[in-house]
Amino acid sequence: MSTIALAAPAALPSVPARTSGYLVLAPSCLLLIIFFALPMGTMIGMSFTNAETLAPTLFHYQRFFSDGLSLSGLYRTAVMSLLVAFCVTVLGYPIAYYLAGSRSRWRALVFALALAPELAGVVLRTYGWLIILEDRGFINDALINLGIIASPLPLSKNLFAVVVGLTHVVLPFGILSLTTSIQGIDPNLERAAQMLGASRLSVVRHIILPLSIPGIVSSLLISFTMAASAYATPALLGGAGFKVLATMIYEQVLFYIDWRFAAVMAIALLSMMLTVSFLGIRYETRRSLRRSNREGGAA
Amino acid sequence: MNAKPYLSVGLMLALGGAVPASAFAETLIVNSYGGPYEAIIEERIIKPFEEKYGVDVVYDAVGSASQDYAKIKATKGQPGFDVAVMTASQSLQGCKDRLLEKLDAGAVPNLQKLEPTLAAVAGPCGAVHEVQYMALLYRTDKLAVAPTSWSSLFDPQLDGKIILPTFQNVMAVFLLEIMSVVRGGDMIDNIEPGFAAMAELARQSIGFEQSSAILESYIKDGTVWAMPFWNGRAQLLVDQGVPVDYVRPEEGTIPLIATLNVPIGAQNKQAAMAFIEFFLEKSSQEAWVTGYQVGSARTDIDIPVDIRKRQITTKADLDGLKLPDLSRIADKLGEWGERWERDVVSQAN
Amino acid sequence: MNRVLTFLFWLAIVLVLTFITLPLLVVVAASFSPTSAVTFVPWEWTVDWYGDLLADRWLQPFLLSVKIATLVAIISGALGVLAAYAIVYERVPGSDALMAGLLSPLSVPQIVKGVAIVLFLSIIGLQGFLGTPALIAAHVVLALPFVTRMAATSLANFDGNLDRAAQSLGASKRQRLQHIVLPMIKPGVLSGVTLAFIISFNNIPLSVFLVRPGDTTLPIAVINYLEYSLDPVMAAVNVASMAFILTVIFLFEKIGGFSAQLHGGSK
Repeated sequence: MSTIALAAPAALPSVPARTSGYLVLAPSCLLLIIFFALPMGTMIGMSFTNAETLAPTLFHYQRFFSDGLSLSGLYRTAVMSLLVAFCVTVLGYPIAYYLAGSRSRWRALVFALALAPELAGVVLRTYGWLIILEDRGFINDALINLGIIASPLPLSKNLFAVVVGLTHVVLPFGILSLTTSIQGIDPNLERAAQMLGASRLSVVRHIILPLSIPGIVSSLLISFTMAASAYATPALLGGAGFKVLATMIYEQVLFYIDWRFAAVMAIALLSMMLTVSFLGIRYETRRSLRRSNREGGAA
Repeated sequence: MNAKPYLSVGLMLALGGAVPASAFAETLIVNSYGGPYEAIIEERIIKPFEEKYGVDVVYDAVGSASQDYAKIKATKGQPGFDVAVMTASQSLQGCKDRLLEKLDAGAVPNLQKLEPTLAAVAGPCGAVHEVQYMALLYRTDKLAVAPTSWSSLFDPQLDGKIILPTFQNVMAVFLLEIMSVVRGGDMIDNIEPGFAAMAELARQSIGFEQSSAILESYIKDGTVWAMPFWNGRAQLLVDQGVPVDYVRPEEGTIPLIATLNVPIGAQNKQAAMAFIEFFLEKSSQEAWVTGYQVGSARTDIDIPVDIRKRQITTKADLDGLKLPDLSRIADKLGEWGERWERDVVSQAN
Repeated sequence: MNRVLTFLFWLAIVLVLTFITLPLLVVVAASFSPTSAVTFVPWEWTVDWYGDLLADRWLQPFLLSVKIATLVAIISGALGVLAAYAIVYERVPGSDALMAGLLSPLSVPQIVKGVAIVLFLSIIGLQGFLGTPALIAAHVVLALPFVTRMAATSLANFDGNLDRAAQSLGASKRQRLQHIVLPMIKPGVLSGVTLAFIISFNNIPLSVFLVRPGDTTLPIAVINYLEYSLDPVMAAVNVASMAFILTVIFLFEKIGGFSAQLHGGSK
């Protein structure tokens, strides 16, 4: 996640404020330590120990890399998350473009519709998709009744269903992120180009799109992250045939009761997400560096 | 800065964090299953218990037997419930891990009324309150002849007309084991034929599902024509008028021995023991057998003949079943789970 | 060419909006269906399932979810404002690192955080903390980055001149905070608090391992119910739940102006 640029108001004289500042941060820090840092540390520590003897061991990590199932789980998670990121950004862009530029009274309605799924909660949406996509569900039922197909299309319990479901779940966040970015583009640029005779298509291609790349990258990152860590949607829509790392972790904890192996999987998932985030942020910073260099040199 | 928000926050925290169910009023938290199980147990066991003992029962319908045990283990025996409905596997495991209370005839006299062999399967930490078996359920309107063997699941006419449980559903392991026997192997050491059979079955199947409710919905609407299912729920379907019936195939089947267990850190142990004692009463067992359509480990109950015929209620019935060494299976679960993912699930569609 | 493009653009919008609303409509239809199969023939619809909603099994988790979400919203709101205050307004040394630290939980999948908390609590012997207390704490940790960021953005956008003017007119720090700073960041903070409420109320992956019997939240009660039955009751629960959240947002909008924040802030 990119950090926000914190422009501070003019410095206020405040020596005692330093201590009061830390005091004020204390409860948050305490909470984060007890309910985040320490548990994560415990989990990481546990992944290196043997379940019975508590002796240090790399056994669980070896198992992760050699059992064939864990790595394919990781791969599956990555592929799915990439697809979701792509779909969310592509589907969200038109809506974001509209929301960023529109002044009409329909804007509020479109905005509400775009965000509404988020309020509905994951189970409702996933359940809805299940009803639509399953073998005896809405789509297959209609197609069979119309005589277009003889046996149901496999639209559920696979990668397709999970991508559809997660795209739906993550879309509001992608739209928000893209809208904010497109809103930041100076409308004068668009107006100037149009005055100079550029077609709509050119304006979008040469001005809007390039300037909204930070928003696109941000949307891709957010979508990837949310998809990779999702549990309920892949569990319900992926079924036994499509297991992602999150569902495998759940099984290890609640069925096999092998918490150390679950910890290794969790660390693997976290590492993948951090890597992708890191690459994305590096791309962002490099890009803004390049642009400021260009601008600075253009003087 | 305005202090009012802080005061109200503090007050709400205090109220919110107040001790929920008071420790001295009689409450008992029972963890069990949802669906039809819940409705029947409420009516036939819990309400009478509440009336007789004046205890307030909180019913917790979360989690399968293995999930319950995972919770017990994670919380070192203080999962928050006082009685759990699990199976013989968890009873043995829990005794070994010292996370379940040992049940003796002093606290639960009715334990002595249970058939010794059946009771022994669960060990000293579990009270056997119900016995079911894995039956072969089929649609009477789709199959002209009733199937007699587990191998009928391989029939070409059933291609795409069966459904299998996921590995997290204990029926999957049962199926694996009985298929192994059918194909000439055994239930633990020579399980190869079992996996080969399951891979074949996966190709026949329309998929895998976890919950019994979803599994039964497939045969209810006719998408599936035959599947393995617990005899209790199978009988409930028959009673509901669904055109199905179930058989105990000739190669035999494996029983599911359900138990009542008390975690070692339970808050209301006395009430828990009273509950178990009550559930094992002659009248309660009779009510339970006729209500949920299952068998009992008590040897002296009176039930209608037609129910007795299809249930496990005597030692003779038990002899006709195959009982694997549950503690050895627990150790194999991880390895079998991985094989299942690799060799069986991959064969579906 | 332009007209083709415009048509395609509007088509895209309509299609995407249809994609978004489709499952919601389906579930609403399912909640009125007399059987577990979903029917779209309105004259077969029944409202029976909504009657079941007042049963304990749904009411208890609902009330618990509301209680937890409210506490989480208040606590994370308070802590978030305090944190933003310290980091943006006071600029205590190490602000950037502190901000990064506060945001770091976002990179960890919720299910991982949940597992870690259960393991940690049982290792230090505090299993009794599972249930409501652990849920509140974990949800606050989850929501805090969002609230802090929104409060911080508000603070960063806040016009320092007003503050300085008040200072030069002799207002004390306390007065400035109370009468100038807090009111100006109100929209941002309220948006954050609303978001925290929604995040907590709808949460599943983090809460899955932290609930205790008798202490279950509504979304998890729904998921558990799915394990055993396919009644349309679940659809009715979902629809009612969504209606509730919409009401909450509407109320917050009235109080604080959520949309003001999203339409471009105080500028």
